[in-house]
Amino acid sequence: MALFLALLLQAAALAAAPDPPRPLSFQATLDAIRITVQPGQVATRQFRLTLDRDQQPTQFKARIEDWWRSEDGKQSFYAKPGTLRRSCGEWVSINPVEATVQPGATLTIRITVSMPVEVQAGGFWCALTVDEVPSPLEAGGEGVGVRFVASVSAGIFVNVEPVRREASILGLDVAKDAASVNLRNDGNTPLAVEGRIEFFSPGASTPLSSVALSRRTLLTEPSRNGVIGVTLPSAEALPAGRYRVRVILDIGTDHYIGAERELDLLREGSPERAAD
Amino acid sequence: MLTRVTGVRRLIEAACAGAVLCTLSVPRPAWSQTTVTLPDTSLTTTMSVNVSEQVRVTVPAGVTFTVSNIGVSTVAAAVAITADQIVTSSAAKQLRISLQANAASFTPPVAGAVTWSASDVSWNAATWTNATGSAATLSHSSSETVATCQADTSSCSTIGLVFTLAPKPTVQRSGTHTLVVAWKLESI
Repeated sequence: MALFLALLLQAAALAAAPDPPRPLSFQATLDAIRITVQPGQVATRQFRLTLDRDQQPTQFKARIEDWWRSEDGKQSFYAKPGTLRRSCGEWVSINPVEATVQPGATLTIRITVSMPVEVQAGGFWCALTVDEVPSPLEAGGEGVGVRFVASVSAGIFVNVEPVRREASILGLDVAKDAASVNLRNDGNTPLAVEGRIEFFSPGASTPLSSVALSRRTLLTEPSRNGVIGVTLPSAEALPAGRYRVRVILDIGTDHYIGAERELDLLREGSPERAAD
Repeated sequence: MLTRVTGVRRLIEAACAGAVLCTLSVPRPAWSQTTVTLPDTSLTTTMSVNVSEQVRVTVPAGVTFTVSNIGVSTVAAAVAITADQIVTSSAAKQLRISLQANAASFTPPVAGAVTWSASDVSWNAATWTNATGSAATLSHSSSETVATCQADTSSCSTIGLVFTLAPKPTVQRSGTHTLVVAWKLESI
């Protein structure tokens, strides 16, 4: 009897023990919300997050933040709405703000953008961030530990006409295994920039190599500048030598913008020479 | 010397696309005079599918540093991260995976005790499948890139992300020091 009671107490203790944290697995929509509105208009969109079926019920909390990125694109910064002059954060409301999602269930967050009657023309932006909230019932690990939580951010871009999309290419540089394009946003709205860099041998009219540039968002503050870097193809595909290098960018207007320069491309092991 | 390129017009490519469409719309010659009944196109329904940009991710719950010597760096066991079912609006768009600490420092086992700062945690440029890993140091004020998935890939993953905790000889309390860190998935 005593043994049975001991086993019963042990089982009860195990059942009451906090759960160790498990990897989190979910699917989420990542659409940036891009709307063009008139002052005083209201627009709504949705964000969805679906928890995998093998997960524990998980709590999520949503908020609107200001957002920007370092010029090299390697760091993102988040701050309370209104930190940036061109923030749309104070016009955006979300519902629900917090919810527990069951395994296999979908959390749908309604995003409402209510434009003020008086607003400047141009682009405004902010971000919807949805954070996992750690369960207070989880067991803390022993020793020095980092508890990870998941966080998804989707951009919200609001344009008020008239919108000017303009950019300048300030520089084009190549190193042994990478190239970079230096840009400035000259317009009044964030620009989604993508494009390519082409390498022409002397006298050639078709490029020897073309390298796609990954998409970057070029904001208007806190910095209008940005650098898009790209890894070059192998030295076999693009050997060392003098090239006419052309960059062609799509900034969302009805024409591309471009620039070119002649320069020496040095590859690993090639003799040092001054570029340009 | 940087020269502005002019005349690189989207219309040129649009014209090329138009030419392809024209070729496809050339009618075939009639080989017979057999009469066929054509379906009533007024009864057809156009079905469209609207696909959102999306991703499915699996992120680890945490890492533990077993600190047996506060005077040297401590390396945690490697963790795995997976992003799959990646759908983007453009072939040039990439999924960015980064980390940001929720606080400037760990929470020590005893209030006020010396503990590690968030910036004492760093990670390696791990080998990723379909992504480029970046080594960086954790920050509370910014999210630092861990990996950027390749453009136009449907999945990217690693099983070799290794976190390192810097030495902290001034720590005096044993026990549990914890820090909450967010995996940030950005599509901005």
